[in-house]
Amino acid sequence: MDERPLTSPTSFVDHIVVPGDVVLNLSSMANHTIKLGGGLRQDCDAISVMKAGKLRFSKPNKYWVESSQKRYVPCVEDTILGIVVDSKADNFLVDIKGPALAFLPVLAFEGGTRRNIPKFETGTLLYVRVVKANDGVNPELTCTDASGKAAEFGPLKEGYMFESSTGLSRMLLSSPTCPVLEALGKKLSFEIAVGLNGRVWVWADLSSVGRFSVNAASPSTVILVGNAIMSSESLSGVQQRIMVEKLLQRIQ
Amino acid sequence: MEYVSPEGLRLDGRRPMEMRQIRGELGAVAKADGSAVFEMGNTKVIAAVYGPREVQNRSQQLNDQALVRCEYSMANFSTGDRMRKPKGDRRSTEISLVIRQTMEACILTHLMPRSQIDIFVQVLQADGGTRSACINAATLALADAGIPMRDLVTSCSAGYLNSNPLLDLNYVEDSAGGPDVTVGILAKLDRVTLLQMDAKLPMDIFENVMQLAIEGCKAIANYIREVRTFQLVLPVVEDHLGTIREYQATGVSPGHIVFLSLPFLKGIPSQLTLPNSAAQVPFW
Repeated sequence: MDERPLTSPTSFVDHIVVPGDVVLNLSSMANHTIKLGGGLRQDCDAISVMKAGKLRFSKPNKYWVESSQKRYVPCVEDTILGIVVDSKADNFLVDIKGPALAFLPVLAFEGGTRRNIPKFETGTLLYVRVVKANDGVNPELTCTDASGKAAEFGPLKEGYMFESSTGLSRMLLSSPTCPVLEALGKKLSFEIAVGLNGRVWVWADLSSVGRFSVNAASPSTVILVGNAIMSSESLSGVQQRIMVEKLLQRIQ
Repeated sequence: MEYVSPEGLRLDGRRPMEMRQIRGELGAVAKADGSAVFEMGNTKVIAAVYGPREVQNRSQQLNDQALVRCEYSMANFSTGDRMRKPKGDRRSTEISLVIRQTMEACILTHLMPRSQIDIFVQVLQADGGTRSACINAATLALADAGIPMRDLVTSCSAGYLNSNPLLDLNYVEDSAGGPDVTVGILAKLDRVTLLQMDAKLPMDIFENVMQLAIEGCKAIANYIREVRTFQLVLPVVEDHLGTIREYQATGVSPGHIVFLSLPFLKGIPSQLTLPNSAAQVPFW
């Protein structure tokens, strides 16, 4: 069982915390600057937890709570997958699984002018970057990187998209490469786009099953990759590798 | 009728200060952003939380905070005789309002202006204390959804029959006509957010009964903490046991953890021991 000594504040680090836990008492730490990340708030002299999750600490003075949810909280510079819901005169309305619909300006593309506005139907999947994210105001997105180039942003054609939690997305994007992606990548070739809002897009063509590069989809590979990723959220590294091995044995 | 026998046992064999067995489970509703099932003895309640999301009715939008909506309903099959009108009657509307006010006090609504949080609570089996079980389930569901909260809200009821304060009344004791005090508190901050009573009590006895209910609430808060602790302890237990189980490639739904707890005896904190069967509980 998890024993939690309640004396020193550092004992909460790397432990599960629930809303209401007081993790730091500022009255005992004078002349320190502490940076609080997500999930923590200051209540006079006590730092208490707002969201359930694992408390993390990075030197010299950053504390935050790592949690995994289905809803996404928009943050500037996050790369996410959005679905077009509507198009207005100057913006596309994009659903990003957050508290409000996001706006994607029609000119926010590489070489975008009033003459070549892209036409996105309702339901188009886009890989975008968050530019503005404030409380109570609809977030703003863009399909270019910081220097104005398209990079890989824009609509994702074909393939298969599934939704999971934000924690899984962060794990897939962590470096060094997440064990499940590494294990899958050794045997299969596929393309994957991970949005920090919990959406993952997978695509594989027939070259992954040993034929030459044909421009036709390989549904079995796509489903295998999708299932492997979805099942890997609560597994440790070793367990993920074993799971992928068992899955690959079934198709060979 | 005798609700407390001369030996000091109640109708279901509990001691006057003993709570019913509680059990909580997260992630029961796959589609909801957060959900939980909470059982107190035979009372079983399921809560689902959606949000924060766009306000559906523009006229109700609040510019500086989130709109919290709550709906309480009882399943037709939850009571002894099949109910004909599960929603919309006076009691359900009142309890919906009570739960909404209790949860609104602990959600940090100013962090999510112009959005909406929906809490749906449904009673699957009713055996007294449904109000409390609903609040506990809603707290777990909100924590599962990652909605910023000040603290965990827990709730418990207590009554006074045959000159004994009784903790956690069931349906038979509740319908005895005696007083029934329901208390909801913010566990760590030690603040009362809900206090309701039926019937009448002299002031000094009321203080005792309310204190008893508050102790019950704190016990529930301790066990809710164990639910979240369990969620990440289980893989570690796996490694210690050296067992690695086979995983099937199915379209898997989010993992959920079950915990079991022992009845709370006043003054004697009960140790939560890890039963052997817990190691085999699959975590999805």
